[in-house]
Amino acid sequence: MLRKAPAGGRAVASNGTTAATSSLPVISSEDMCPVCKTIRYLNKDMEFLINPECYHSMCVNCVNRLFNDGPNQCPYAGCRKTLRRKGFRSAFFGDLSVEREVDIRRRVAAVFNQVEDDFETLKDYNDYLQMVEDLTFDLVSGTDAQRRAAEATLQQWELEHKADIERNRKAGKEADEQSRRRLAAEREAARQRRMEALREAEEEKLERARSREAELDSLAQGDVGAGAQRVQLKRRGQAAANRAVEAAVNAAVAAADVGRLSIRGLKEKKKAPAPEGPYDPFGGMDFVPSRYKLRAGLTHPGIEKYKHDPAHITGGYSFDEYMTRAMFEAFAGLGVFIEDEKEVGIGLSAGEVATISAGIAAVGDKMELD
Amino acid sequence: MATEDARYRESSQYQLWSFSPTQLAAMREKTNAAARARIAQRLSSMPASSRNTSAPTSSANTPDPDGASTPALPEFLTPAEEALLVTFNTSELLRAGDHAEMSDEIKATAAAFFRRFYVTNSVMTYPPTEMLMVALYFACKAEGVFLSITDFIKTFGRENPEEIIAGEFLLCQGLRFAIDVKHPFRALRGAVMELGTFPDIEPARLAAAEQRAREILRFSPLITDAYFHYTPSQIMLAALSLADRGLAERLIAETFHYVAPPANNSGAETPASSGPDAPAPSRKPAPRSDGEDKAQIIGSHIRDKVLGTIEACRDMLSKELPERREHWTNKAVIKAQITPLRKKLNKCHDPERWNLVELQRARREQASKKADSEDGDAEDKAGGGTIEPDGAVFGGPLPRDTKRRKMGKGLEDPFGPPL
Repeated sequence: MLRKAPAGGRAVASNGTTAATSSLPVISSEDMCPVCKTIRYLNKDMEFLINPECYHSMCVNCVNRLFNDGPNQCPYAGCRKTLRRKGFRSAFFGDLSVEREVDIRRRVAAVFNQVEDDFETLKDYNDYLQMVEDLTFDLVSGTDAQRRAAEATLQQWELEHKADIERNRKAGKEADEQSRRRLAAEREAARQRRMEALREAEEEKLERARSREAELDSLAQGDVGAGAQRVQLKRRGQAAANRAVEAAVNAAVAAADVGRLSIRGLKEKKKAPAPEGPYDPFGGMDFVPSRYKLRAGLTHPGIEKYKHDPAHITGGYSFDEYMTRAMFEAFAGLGVFIEDEKEVGIGLSAGEVATISAGIAAVGDKMELD
Repeated sequence: MATEDARYRESSQYQLWSFSPTQLAAMREKTNAAARARIAQRLSSMPASSRNTSAPTSSANTPDPDGASTPALPEFLTPAEEALLVTFNTSELLRAGDHAEMSDEIKATAAAFFRRFYVTNSVMTYPPTEMLMVALYFACKAEGVFLSITDFIKTFGRENPEEIIAGEFLLCQGLRFAIDVKHPFRALRGAVMELGTFPDIEPARLAAAEQRAREILRFSPLITDAYFHYTPSQIMLAALSLADRGLAERLIAETFHYVAPPANNSGAETPASSGPDAPAPSRKPAPRSDGEDKAQIIGSHIRDKVLGTIEACRDMLSKELPERREHWTNKAVIKAQITPLRKKLNKCHDPERWNLVELQRARREQASKKADSEDGDAEDKAGGGTIEPDGAVFGGPLPRDTKRRKMGKGLEDPFGPPL
């Protein structure tokens, strides 16, 4: 009994502690300042700041408390960085390692800001980019030694290429400025267009009202009829025509605009295909005979008797068609010299012939299987 | 280019079945060589045959005029002998058509089919006497005369319609499915109509010339290679010129009347008496009134060329004038020329292809077997046997191998079997 009780009591006690820890809300770094242990529950407006020296986060209160009186050591255990009040800012990314990487990249990019035009070949440029990326990687996630070496390289480069860096920075700024201006101009143009459309709609409404009034007037005056109708139609047509002209002018202006401000990456619009004529089943073949002429007097003794044969004329047999065909056959191919043409391969090539016949045959092939 | 010529060039007759003489000869050579090779292979691989399987060399295949051929393989027909057999059978075909009282067009179409078929297929592969009937029957269909098969075979005193039906698709494949044959018969009428409008030509002369020309057209171009080498209008003019040279030349002279030089445009070019068939320039509005273009179409340069072509065609036709019909049915001639070839053919024909009915049956079985194996077990297909017999049964003579389009698997060559 005696032996048992404490064991049981201990068991209970241990159970109690585990229950207590698991029931407590998990306090993440989001919710508790690691320095003063204040939790968000007590201070709703708690905000965390970091210093890019060491990326240790702490709440605003702690920052104020520790650094208001000048530079001080980072309160994190083992971190000996000296921090200043000025260096603190709120983190953009939740993950501070990302925040740090972004900062490093920004810094590297400010130093290594050469553009492709600065290099003679694309390969050189790519090598340069590779070098920069290696360096960045060392800075971000290298060992201490690597980081130091990379840092040294970075500073050395900065020192050596000061003028270049400055120049490129300016150029980049200018380009930014330009694109900003262009965007602003586009916005302005869009606004103008909207205004224009509104105005047009307004005008049209007015115009409609006016024409309606005129119509009513003419009705009141009593001369109903074609005249009024025509006037109205004409006016309406006029409005439409005006609009068309305006649209054309606007289009021309827009085209000119496109010439001035070009949007990068914008694909050139394809030209509308030329309007096709009506469908020609014969592919533009000419049916006007060029060697003979179909005349009225054509006849043949062999067909005379059919001209009075009820079996032919009742059915609507066209003797003209027969003449046309006979004449065509008499002269078709007269100037086709097979020996010459086939030798030099005028007409279809062998491959084409095969394709054509295969196409025809593909249908016929099934027949064999019935 | 003249519009009529452009339209003719669209026809399958021009595109698929017109060749220069050298091309045609080359194709026949190739067909013959391919047939020899395949038949030699098949004969030597025949299990029942007691022939020893000596590899067929070219020297063994070439028929020796002295008759000293190797005992292993029979003597094969030469291209020239094949051509002779085809010509003889064409004459037989025309006779059969006469016997069945078929129209000129049908007979001509059948003859064209027959000759076209044997350009890419050898006489040694498929039996010409059977194919002749098939061509005749199929030509009826092609010309829009739909005889029943029983009526058709009754005309020729035969019993089994299968014989005709079996070869029909084969023929189509051999023809590359170009069923439309352009004939010179209607063209002749057109020419006569045109000539009839000339006041100085007596109708009697014209009628006589037409009759004679038609007689020629019924026979001469069909039994020669004219259909391969010349266009129907050229054949027609050649026949007309054989019948009445003056008329043909007159027609050509009137057609190609254009004289280039006069600077003045052709208002005076169509005097009503001499050139009534001149296409008046006013009829064609813009482009063709150009003098150079006209010279291309109806100038004297092209007239000379047309005359030359017609002359060549005339020579070809004059070798087989209608009077030669008797020659081809003359018993003495047959005995001297054809019978030896037939005997030779009996020995060297293709053992697998000769019997069309059997071939058709094998094909059907093949097709159903293939369908089965495609449906059912893939193993059977893979273990196959199907592929080799496929080649054996569906293969066919294709001299123009380059023209073959590779078809998907399971789709055999629509143009028929390689030999």
